[in-house]
Amino acid sequence: MKVALFIPCFVDQLMPDVGVDTAKVLRRIGCDVDFPMEQTCCGQPAFNAGYWNDARPLGERFVKIFRDAQAVVCPSGSCTTMVRNFYSELLAGSALHDEAVQLCQRVYEFSEFLVKVVNRLDVGAAFPHRVGYHDACHALRELRLKQEPREILRRVRGLELVELPYCEDCCGFGGTFAVKFNTISAAMGEAKASSASTANAEFLTSTDPSCLLHIDGILRRQNSRVRTLHLANILARTEPAAERSSEFAAPGTAQ
Amino acid sequence: MAQTEDPRRQKILARVRKALASPAQKPPQHSVAATYAPIADPLERFRSECAGNNTECIVTPNLRASAVAIADVLAALPAGEIFIQDAPELRAMGGAWSRHAVHWSTDTTPGNSNKRPGESSQATITLAETLVAQTGSVLVSSACGGRAAPFVAPLHIVVATAAQLVADLEVALARVREQGTALKNSYLSLITGSSRTADIEKILVMGAHGPRRLIVTVALSKE
Amino acid sequence: MSSAAAEFLREAATKSADLAHREIIRLGIDKYDEAAERGRARFSDWQAARQRCQEIKWEAINHQDRYLLQFEQQLTARGGHVFWAETGEDARAYITRLAQRCGVRTIAKSKSMVAEEIHLAAALQKEGMQVFETDLGEFIVQLRNEPPYHIVTPAMHLTRTDISALFKEKLGGVDSNDPQELVGAARRWLRQAFFAAEMGITGANFLVADCGMIAVSTNEGNADLGMSLPRIHVALSGIEKVIPSLKDLAILWPMLATSGTGQPITCYNTLIGGPRTSNETDGPEEFHLILLDNGRSELLEDAEQRDVLHCIRCGACLNACPVFRTVGGHTYGTTYPGPIGSVLTPHLRGLDEYQHLSYASSLCGACTDVCPVKIDLHHHLLHNRRNAVNEARRPWNERLGFKLWRWTMMGAGRFTVAGAFGRGLLRVLYRLGVQGSALDPLGPWARFHAAPRIPAKSFRALWRKGIGAD
Repeated sequence: MKVALFIPCFVDQLMPDVGVDTAKVLRRIGCDVDFPMEQTCCGQPAFNAGYWNDARPLGERFVKIFRDAQAVVCPSGSCTTMVRNFYSELLAGSALHDEAVQLCQRVYEFSEFLVKVVNRLDVGAAFPHRVGYHDACHALRELRLKQEPREILRRVRGLELVELPYCEDCCGFGGTFAVKFNTISAAMGEAKASSASTANAEFLTSTDPSCLLHIDGILRRQNSRVRTLHLANILARTEPAAERSSEFAAPGTAQ
Repeated sequence: MAQTEDPRRQKILARVRKALASPAQKPPQHSVAATYAPIADPLERFRSECAGNNTECIVTPNLRASAVAIADVLAALPAGEIFIQDAPELRAMGGAWSRHAVHWSTDTTPGNSNKRPGESSQATITLAETLVAQTGSVLVSSACGGRAAPFVAPLHIVVATAAQLVADLEVALARVREQGTALKNSYLSLITGSSRTADIEKILVMGAHGPRRLIVTVALSKE
Repeated sequence: MSSAAAEFLREAATKSADLAHREIIRLGIDKYDEAAERGRARFSDWQAARQRCQEIKWEAINHQDRYLLQFEQQLTARGGHVFWAETGEDARAYITRLAQRCGVRTIAKSKSMVAEEIHLAAALQKEGMQVFETDLGEFIVQLRNEPPYHIVTPAMHLTRTDISALFKEKLGGVDSNDPQELVGAARRWLRQAFFAAEMGITGANFLVADCGMIAVSTNEGNADLGMSLPRIHVALSGIEKVIPSLKDLAILWPMLATSGTGQPITCYNTLIGGPRTSNETDGPEEFHLILLDNGRSELLEDAEQRDVLHCIRCGACLNACPVFRTVGGHTYGTTYPGPIGSVLTPHLRGLDEYQHLSYASSLCGACTDVCPVKIDLHHHLLHNRRNAVNEARRPWNERLGFKLWRWTMMGAGRFTVAGAFGRGLLRVLYRLGVQGSALDPLGPWARFHAAPRIPAKSFRALWRKGIGAD
């Protein structure tokens, strides 16, 4: 199956390993993976801040770039949500509106693609550690994904999936919210961080790199032994890896 | 100025009408799925709901037995006024309670021209309009001894029969409509359990301002 | 930044750091969550129930003029007085004049968010009348001289020890930590108020159009005492509370209770259709219903956000909101806190002053999920943000920043260069030890996060090199 990668702007710049591992896993299960180089950003930061006139041209640009894709896969629930759930409203009145609505139906979050489109719950991954899953808000409430990421994680060899207390609570990132209301954002992040400790998880994972960036920054500030990995990072591992520290570096590590 | 000529009223209505000229999107209609499972045994459901909401439900064979059950309850109370709705069924039962300081709802007492229970009454006894199995509730009206009767004393006793029991709120409110109860009474109250509050640390405490105890006697038949 | 916004940020910072406060809220919300889950399980189809309530409210709000007129006609025929108040001042003036005319000295007041909204109690107290809050939570915060913390549980921020100390000081005659004894003390104290009051003031949960009755729900029974003992009953309601029919209460009553506290139904659901009739044995001789607009008809005009008026004031969105749970109800500084408050307040009190509330959210959507009448709460926060931008109420540097950002993102080449430059700059600055200092470009982020590791190469650079082919 031909897949076009939709890599969020901040993943491209700060967490490239998430993109690399997403491509790796998709190739492993037999997809023909492409990365349209013209892509930049779906427009979500401007949209969420209320700057719809600045987000709109980016939305139109996105539609043009991906219009010929058979399937668009994105390792982020929030960016997938932007396209699938909000482009219709954002591009109301645009000449590209109808095409956007058509395209939306071919845009998938990564775990959603694996489970609902190609029905590959087992991607041949191995990761023998205790892993807690954080339900990212957009993936949970906008895309209605709850069991899908868990089903995939349960089939990773050696992985022990632990349910985090308050797993559905928001981590507090929320885009510019993390900057404008940083005290509240941090408090929410701290609560999420401590839920991972309570569950004795070695790793915390999610569908959303933005959540992980935020939670990871807080965990490391607390000198916590809990580490974060994106779902794609875990699925990319095919055999029990030796405990080299560079294997499990935090998001945004230099390659 | 007549009420309907009040300019504020005209202005508000005008703004409302103007606003509604632009239509809002209607929610998509879904099939009318039942929101509750049907109730097979209303009396059983009523009893279990009462157990859950702190209503003491006493099922008796008839009203005479209800009167005796109530007499036992009254005997255990401290001395004080027992306020009773003046209704034929309750007058007929009243013999069982004559040892107590009975104040019928139609009596005015010195300093209490309002025909309501005294401030320190120990219990009130009233009839009810309907019993509702779904929630273990009692529907009373101002015809059941007045507005204050279900609230002033620490104990409220309801005398009812099984024929008054309906399965759910929908039926109960339909009955109110059919029988014109809402039009004949300026006051209706659906009572579900004893007065309570959880305002302190979300800990449930009974007997906030209304009665601490609610007893419902359900006679399976009148005689 | 408006003064309200600055105040909010200050309070939020204090409360976010107050771990004891957060723990109290957490315990309270955990209890609520448990009860609400049990409550929802009583429905064979919870989503269908929400749908039904949404439909009832949609019908009511979108034909509001018709139902208000029907309600008024029915209630007036039953001897009730209906007063239409455009503003809070209209309502306060009407009630004050009524109280003065009738020689009212003592008022027994039950919970009313509308009365809070227009600061009624203070206005009456200024005229020399004694106003007793009879809802236990409201009574407690009244003694503490503070506003309610939550629209359903006004004193949830206090422990029993706090309340015990308060009662010992203000009421006397009680020295106990036991909730049962504390409630008993409040009951004894407030009974005097009920029996002495010449006027009872209540809110209204619903206005039932087809029979001209108001519906008032309490667990304590305080509203009922206030509606049966005093000679005059005054009820306040927003114009948006009208519903078409009595039968609608069969679903609305249980939904209000389940969402509000997790109970199957509130203890006392009372319907009042005017003053006592000639053949009734007790009850008020006069009944006055105040219909308050105070900005609601303007919100009605906004067809996109009209559903905000569907709100039945259950408080579920407050309980679900992680921001509310972190900063608490007082931080908002508004009558209505939480998600509904953040959506509603800019409409009632101005976008300029209160837009910050719509920004103080991570848009997690938990509120929308729990709303029993399916208001699209978190999307309305987005709409308010868009409105703020379109009405040019945002700071100039932010507007400029997004213009620059957009320009950068409109070209892959520009984006690549900007990204490489940004990463390069951060790597240099962090190597110089700037992180966390005043020179850290990620200032507000750096306050609570360890510095992110900045990669040398972007994904697109790696892709160009052939990475991902395994």
